Amino acid sequence: MTDESEPQAAQEREPEPRGNPMLAAVAAWLVPGAGHMILGRWRRGLLFLVLVGVSLAVGLALDGKLWHITRGQPLSYLGTFACAGLGIPYFVLRFAMHYQGDLVSQGYEYGAAFILTGGLMNLLLILDAWDIARGLKE
Amino acid sequence: MVLFSFLVSTFFAALWRRTFRDQVVLFFQLFLGMVLGGLVIAWLMYPFPAGPPAPIP
Repeated sequence: MTDESEPQAAQEREPEPRGNPMLAAVAAWLVPGAGHMILGRWRRGLLFLVLVGVSLAVGLALDGKLWHITRGQPLSYLGTFACAGLGIPYFVLRFAMHYQGDLVSQGYEYGAAFILTGGLMNLLLILDAWDIARGLKE
Repeated sequence: MVLFSFLVSTFFAALWRRTFRDQVVLFFQLFLGMVLGGLVIAWLMYPFPAGPPAPIP
């Protein structure tokens, strides 16, 4: 290996950080899309905010279930984890508004799918913001 | 189903692709795959009886 190619190879191996990964991840969790916004990806961050927001809004309009931990139901842990991925909106709905959904509503299960999907999408956004902040992704 | 497919397809197209052209291609692949796949599965399930409604706990 020559002297000229060595620094270039080292640069390829070690990605250059673009921000604080922990800050980006926490921001992405609390407010959907915020992780991308603080990393300068405003358009993508806004798009993700709209997509997660619409998913949550549709779920709420259908009176969908907002998962919470129930003893003796192991699947409720997974559902709660997915819903809590929404960040601040989940905690506002759960603890400030005491929202649970309407069990007898026709859209109860459909709405739950939208709310769960919104939370899961935001969990992926947290990982994406983390990778961008570390320089592993554009 | 269409709205759900639209949201999820848009999300993954924006997340996984960088250029606009690639995003559009992936969007239509995912969107049509989910909508048409859902219709095919529904058609395959048509002969099976729906059964009584689930009891409310």
